[in-house]
Amino acid sequence: MRRRVAITGLGVVSPIGLTVDAFRESLLAGASGVGPISLFDATGLPTRIAAEVRGLPVRGRDRKIDFALEAARQALDEAGRPRGAGGVSLGVGLELFSLDDVAAARAGGTLPAALGERLTFLQTPSDLCVHAIAHRYELRTPPLVHVSACAAGTDAIGAAFRLVASGRRDWMLAGGTDSMINPLGVAGFCRLGATSTANARPAAASRPFDRGRDGFVLGEGAGVLVLEPLDAALARGARVRAEVVGYGNSFDAHGISEPHPEGRGAWQAMARALQDAGVGPEAIDCVNAHGTATPKNDPVETAALKRLLGARAAEVPVCATKSMIGHLISAAGAVEAIATVLGLEGGWVHPTLNLDDADPACDLDYVPHKARAHRQRYALSNSFGFGGQNAALLLRAWDARR
Amino acid sequence: MDAQPRPADHDPLSVTGLGAAEGPCDPTPWLRQRKLRKFMGRQDDLAVVAAGRALESAGLGGAALGERAGLYLAVGFIPFEGDEIDALHAASAVDGHFSMRRFATEGYLAPNPLLTFRCLPNMPAFHVSINFDLQGPYLVTYPGAGQLYAALEEARVALETGAIDVALVGGVAHQRNFLVEHHVRRLGRPSETLEDAAGVLVLETAAHAGARGAVTRARLLDCAAGYRPWDPLAESPARDDRFEEAGLDLAGFGAASLPVALGRLPAGRHRHRLASGDGIEAASTWEIA
Repeated sequence: MRRRVAITGLGVVSPIGLTVDAFRESLLAGASGVGPISLFDATGLPTRIAAEVRGLPVRGRDRKIDFALEAARQALDEAGRPRGAGGVSLGVGLELFSLDDVAAARAGGTLPAALGERLTFLQTPSDLCVHAIAHRYELRTPPLVHVSACAAGTDAIGAAFRLVASGRRDWMLAGGTDSMINPLGVAGFCRLGATSTANARPAAASRPFDRGRDGFVLGEGAGVLVLEPLDAALARGARVRAEVVGYGNSFDAHGISEPHPEGRGAWQAMARALQDAGVGPEAIDCVNAHGTATPKNDPVETAALKRLLGARAAEVPVCATKSMIGHLISAAGAVEAIATVLGLEGGWVHPTLNLDDADPACDLDYVPHKARAHRQRYALSNSFGFGGQNAALLLRAWDARR
Repeated sequence: MDAQPRPADHDPLSVTGLGAAEGPCDPTPWLRQRKLRKFMGRQDDLAVVAAGRALESAGLGGAALGERAGLYLAVGFIPFEGDEIDALHAASAVDGHFSMRRFATEGYLAPNPLLTFRCLPNMPAFHVSINFDLQGPYLVTYPGAGQLYAALEEARVALETGAIDVALVGGVAHQRNFLVEHHVRRLGRPSETLEDAAGVLVLETAAHAGARGAVTRARLLDCAAGYRPWDPLAESPARDDRFEEAGLDLAGFGAASLPVALGRLPAGRHRHRLASGDGIEAASTWEIA
């Protein structure tokens, strides 16, 4: 029999807040975390803006390691340690950092001695993040490292949900961590023409669903959730923040860099999440969209939502967290799931910034500019990856009476 | 650590297809869209060839897999060829030293613009999905042999719960390149033993395989994985890479080791064990027909 799965801890490191409380306040205020790139000299690159995490000490250039550890610490500090065999499931970004390290290695350079220097380009396979967390918290079940691109954070939570729901794990730390704000990361996206070049107005650059959007803004950060069986959480007196009730993923099987034109894969992922939960589309009260602000994603996601929600599509608020924090790639789904939980708890939907002139092909209620009070029971959180990997989570507001 | 195999709760799953690929290989016979060939790196070639061979071996060659098939794939360390790095550096250097300013204006344009597509770890899954019209669920994990057991576990559950009818379970490892060889050398292992390889199994419930008249080539009798946490942030992290591959020395095959091993084993019952450097210990028992 499937167990109900509670979210009992949240941890976030984001461009608009280094704690869950700060993140919530920034979401409600409609704050933008986008600014000029300060982590390296991006002068000359077409894109020179990003949403950086500021104020968190990091020990080396592999920033995502410290992001993950801090988010996990926050989540477990809040939840307390659940009983039994725990594990970790993370979407983790790529280990591509500094070109001078590459050059040194090619020239036969020796390994740097100090830890901070070792944690650079060629020294850190990405799975290091999960092992660091597992070691710190003595998690003795095999960790999961998800690399389904922009869907990885959502897939990580979904996989953890299934492990807990089926009784294969007693509890899980789940989420994602990433930072691609480095020369190779930013240049790579520039080369693909994927990122916004609105360098003169950083806060206005991430424009999901707007007619004037010109690509995504790169962000960085981490989000980690504690998942455990609902009955175990209640028995130990943990605060239940929401429930994970459904998860679905799919392949577009269509194009390498463009989504299926009718949003087939996106729809399949969302429909599977609903089917997994045993609820119909009429139950959906809110959607946290993938909402990248790329020309191709936004109308396709809109089409998929219309197919899913039918006549109710225009009534269901759809928000894009990326308008504030940019695209956190492998961490995006995790941080956006946390934003969704906060909205479920608080009875509000955060705004989609910079939606001044909606694309005619994007004609849903995207909650422009200002947060809105909106009581919700069920909310979807979407992540659609480059390469046609789509994932969706269905979350339910916690109600002790149910 | 708990890596003792436990019997499956359900009837053993059937392996109805096995496919492997090694070294340079040509995926052209399986490509539905030839225009995508230029986007493919070696890891993509390997994954498509292994999947194509596995599906043909399962009697599913040419079939559009659709929504009832899932892909569970462990992908090895991200590959990066030395000549690509050299081109990038040469176009970014001033007086022999890396110059961020030159990189930002010239260097980043030097590598092949398709380089990103050819090395991302989710791309083998993309190429398998599009060439075999696979629209079902997936799990794409990274980067070692132990993660293949995570993929195998999820595939098993998806089949046993009826979420899918067919699972492609595999591993792909493009390892003969500068970056992966560097990783392995820094861990104190010889890079000369590394192989470029992929292996894919087609898994089904016995009932589904029987209903479509498929030949059962092997059966998964049990599998389990355990984990010993280790501290990668220690000044001298301890890693212990050991592979015991059912009597076959396939340590150099990385994430592809298990499915490649199954294709080489003679008829009979075999136990596959591994203890990989990432702390995962796993074991499974297979009955080869």
